[in-house]
Amino acid sequence: MRDKRGPHVMNHTSPIERILRGAALTIVVLFFMFPIFWILLMSVQTNETILRSPPSMVFTPTLQNYQALITGRLETQAGSLDIEFMQNLWNSVILSVGSVALALVLGVPAAYAFARHKFRGSEDIAFTLLSFRFAPPLLVLLPLTMYFQELGLADTYVGLIWVYQLICLPLILWIVRGYFEDISPDVEHAYRIAGHSWLSTFRKIALPLAGPGIAAAGLLAFIFAWNNFIFALVLASADKQPVTVGALNFITASGIQYGQIAAAVIMSIAPTLALALYAQRYLVEGLSLGAVKG
Amino acid sequence: MKARMTATLPKPRRFSVSRRALPYVLSLPALLVCIGILVPFVTAAYYSLQRFRMSQPWNRGMNWGENYLNFMSDPDFWQTLKVSLSYAFLTVGIELLLGLGIALLLQKRTRLNNFISVMLLMPLMCAPALAALMWKLMTNPNFGILSYLVESIGFTDFRWGSSPSTALFTVVLVDVWVYTPFIMILLLAGLRSLPTQPFEAADLDGVPRLQQFWRITLPMLTPYILTASLFRLLDSIQQFDIIYAMTQGGPGDTLMVFQVEAYLNFFQSTNVGRSAALMMILWAITFFLSNIFIKNWLRLRERARGEA
Amino acid sequence: MYEKEKGLVDAFRRGQLSRRGLIKSLGALGVSAGTAGVLVNMVSTQAMAADFDWMKHKGKSVKLLLNKHPYADAMIANLENFKKLTGIDVTYDIFPEDVYFDKVTAALSSRSSEYDAFMTGAYMTWTYGPAGWITDLNEWINDSDKTSPTYDWDDMLPGVRASCAWNGKPGGALGSDDAKQWCIPWGYEQNNLAYNASMFDKIGAQAPTNMGEMVEVAAKAQKDLDGVYGIGVRGSRSWATIHPGFLSGYANFEEKDLNIADDGKLSAAMNTDGSKAFHADWVKMIQDSGASDWSSHTWYQVGTDLGAGKSAMIYDADILGYFMNGGDNAMAGELAFAPFAANPDAESPTPNIWIWSLAMSNFSKDKDAAWYFMQWASGPEHGLFGAAEMDFVNPVRKSVWESDVFVDRLNSGYPGYVEMHDLSAPGASIKFTAQPLFFDLTTEWASSLQKMVANEVPVDEGLDQLAESVNRQLKDAGLG
Repeated sequence: MRDKRGPHVMNHTSPIERILRGAALTIVVLFFMFPIFWILLMSVQTNETILRSPPSMVFTPTLQNYQALITGRLETQAGSLDIEFMQNLWNSVILSVGSVALALVLGVPAAYAFARHKFRGSEDIAFTLLSFRFAPPLLVLLPLTMYFQELGLADTYVGLIWVYQLICLPLILWIVRGYFEDISPDVEHAYRIAGHSWLSTFRKIALPLAGPGIAAAGLLAFIFAWNNFIFALVLASADKQPVTVGALNFITASGIQYGQIAAAVIMSIAPTLALALYAQRYLVEGLSLGAVKG
Repeated sequence: MKARMTATLPKPRRFSVSRRALPYVLSLPALLVCIGILVPFVTAAYYSLQRFRMSQPWNRGMNWGENYLNFMSDPDFWQTLKVSLSYAFLTVGIELLLGLGIALLLQKRTRLNNFISVMLLMPLMCAPALAALMWKLMTNPNFGILSYLVESIGFTDFRWGSSPSTALFTVVLVDVWVYTPFIMILLLAGLRSLPTQPFEAADLDGVPRLQQFWRITLPMLTPYILTASLFRLLDSIQQFDIIYAMTQGGPGDTLMVFQVEAYLNFFQSTNVGRSAALMMILWAITFFLSNIFIKNWLRLRERARGEA
Repeated sequence: MYEKEKGLVDAFRRGQLSRRGLIKSLGALGVSAGTAGVLVNMVSTQAMAADFDWMKHKGKSVKLLLNKHPYADAMIANLENFKKLTGIDVTYDIFPEDVYFDKVTAALSSRSSEYDAFMTGAYMTWTYGPAGWITDLNEWINDSDKTSPTYDWDDMLPGVRASCAWNGKPGGALGSDDAKQWCIPWGYEQNNLAYNASMFDKIGAQAPTNMGEMVEVAAKAQKDLDGVYGIGVRGSRSWATIHPGFLSGYANFEEKDLNIADDGKLSAAMNTDGSKAFHADWVKMIQDSGASDWSSHTWYQVGTDLGAGKSAMIYDADILGYFMNGGDNAMAGELAFAPFAANPDAESPTPNIWIWSLAMSNFSKDKDAAWYFMQWASGPEHGLFGAAEMDFVNPVRKSVWESDVFVDRLNSGYPGYVEMHDLSAPGASIKFTAQPLFFDLTTEWASSLQKMVANEVPVDEGLDQLAESVNRQLKDAGLG
């Protein structure tokens, strides 16, 4: 097992070095954390306090931006404005969950086949599936707008979820296949020989053993799907738009609602941030499996 | 039973037809779903060989390689190629250096380091389109905190994405903010899985640490670095979200990368032929790079398995 | 409806009560102005129904594609009346303008039958029409079976109406006899000056009356006012940068975008000496006193900055200034309006106009029902309702401009607006040459402007390059 190899431990660090390291790390953390912090601050201000110059940290926080997003009504100048942000959020949930679920159903058995059976053309097929990960999305999307119309898939969740496979499926195949290959087939053979069917071996032995890998892959695929912008921008109609596109909605003819843009950004990234914090172990594993180790 | 168990078993006992078909049955659905994608691909290839502008349907017809030939003498195309490549190499280069640096800082497995590395994942969780929006807010000349900070240290005329001289810097900065954590986490995983013996031996021999880094760490980490950068390069050369959300390719033609140019060609000029030809060229570039990448990745995986 | 309210509204119908009196009385009963307007419109709608079989398409439904815009808001606020009048159900998708036109292109180019009618600008129909995506509406307008006798097509401002009609020939004059009516005007914008009157008072400036003065006043405002820039104009890499103030001023010097030869061939016209002089002034004005992030400025930033007191004036759509003078904008009530003729020798302004219009998809499954919606939405009753109660300005119907309710409302809250409109209306029209490469040409024009403002290329050279590139593209497309 890999984790037996410990890290290279540095024994002799001078105090100066320690201070420099600390300073460097502080700068790094500041650079990567500050934007999120600042947008969070913006999201609890009114347009008025945001537009002050110079920018200031002194203000009375307000939840009106969030309130407007959640209730779907924003009271402004020319009366009230309907916002469909919650619908956008819901669309993101449907699209991401649906795509990952489908990708798992399709991808895990295929990954298993590639890992356990060297069959004719297996490497070619696997290679083809992997290379979809790197096809320029617009190349496929633009002609697809026309086909979707003919197939009746335009403006349906099903159609979008199918296109989302372009992101999710290669990722899942990639990671899960590597994970299966890491597990010795002996246990499965033993179980098979004990008289169990192929299906029950797959379900009772292979799947549970590969569980962490599947979790990591699913998590990563979920995040990629959630963060996607271009697919829905091109293919979905207004009531199917996810948050990444919906955040553009707060720009209206009678002014830009900066506070709401900020609140929308926070609400849109909150689910993935929460997931990352909650399941960081799988996430880190998925990331490194996905790109490097397999 | 027992007797059978001890027999050499790695191979299944008998091959029935259904057994041979099994892997195909398992992988077929995934393949079918993806093959659906091939149809539009072929369509795009076909369009790229046509004179096809939707606003002039009467002019439509095959012109074979003319769209591609026109690129040769088209300064806009060369600008697109140049910007796409500079963007890709700049972002990957910076992210790699920064990611490696941070990974080295966090190499030691302490609770604090682990906590920081998880915190640093947060930008990666932000959708690039939304990240671009965040940075746009922060660089707004009226109330943007960054504009204010930069001005207060003396750069009174720093215009971020609005000036051709700083636009590339600005979008690269956003890309670096989003994707450095990706490289960092990969290299951190690589670093932490390095064997300890070579370093212990070097310590005993009194080899200075800087030399250890050049002679031992870097060579052993190279496969990880290579794969991570190729992976990022493939994504980066296709950048759309950040650039489209920040400047739509402007100012001037400063940020007209492939996908933005193709998007505008399709949706604004309705010049489908040119748009498709641009995408085909981008596809050729990524196909070439992804071949290198996947082969390299497979080799790395074999090696990791051999060591395990 | 309650009895008291109903009595009041009927009195209004019979002419016993003025409109303002009615709204006041309804207000006393706790009915808000907007609701009162809807009530009045409901009664007018009932009157409308007498002369025409509005129920002919009862039970059908129509789907619209809309841009997030006050015009759409005004229509939606009144939509129940249409449903009651016709029994047609109406649904709609709304997109923000950043992605709106891409969505229209996506829907139409894929021949989607989802939408029956949609909002568009006249320029866009130069693509949609030849592509076969939209329908020539003359067939409906001139059919008395399909169009209500009260529709009164001749009530539309003639210049605006003509600007929505084109014969499809590259370079063909708008509104010619053989033109097809690609869309119906809904609301329109002239480009003039909106300025912050209190800022101008503070620095002792007058509203500029020509290009030279504009450059000066903008520079003065930039210099004398703290944290404010002199003038807001659009600058993003898009056609939208060319069409408002920029083209209006350009046309005032009698400069053109394209030349049309006798044989109908088109060629670039933006590298003349006059054009170069105008560009030089414009570029200098932005460099000296424009927004520091000018190159990302769209309608939204230009407006928001004026409304927030970050800019001293804008040379843009009149209604943009109108919106910024109301609501909870920091500068609401501080703005004033003036007509603007860039050329000192010109007698009056020649604003290029933008027309939000309604077009009918060629892939609509029920064009007759769609037309019912379109004629209602562009009809006199809804026009008056929208202009008087909502922000449906500028109206495209003469009858609305003649209505006291509307004009009084403008005069009381928007000083100088009506005079500005009336003075520049005679010279207002679309100043672009209608041709299918409109977006290629204007986007590249905007991109050239950005380069000139950034000093990447001198104005003269930049325009020569632009002309050369435009000519090449026209030739490639068989137009030049």
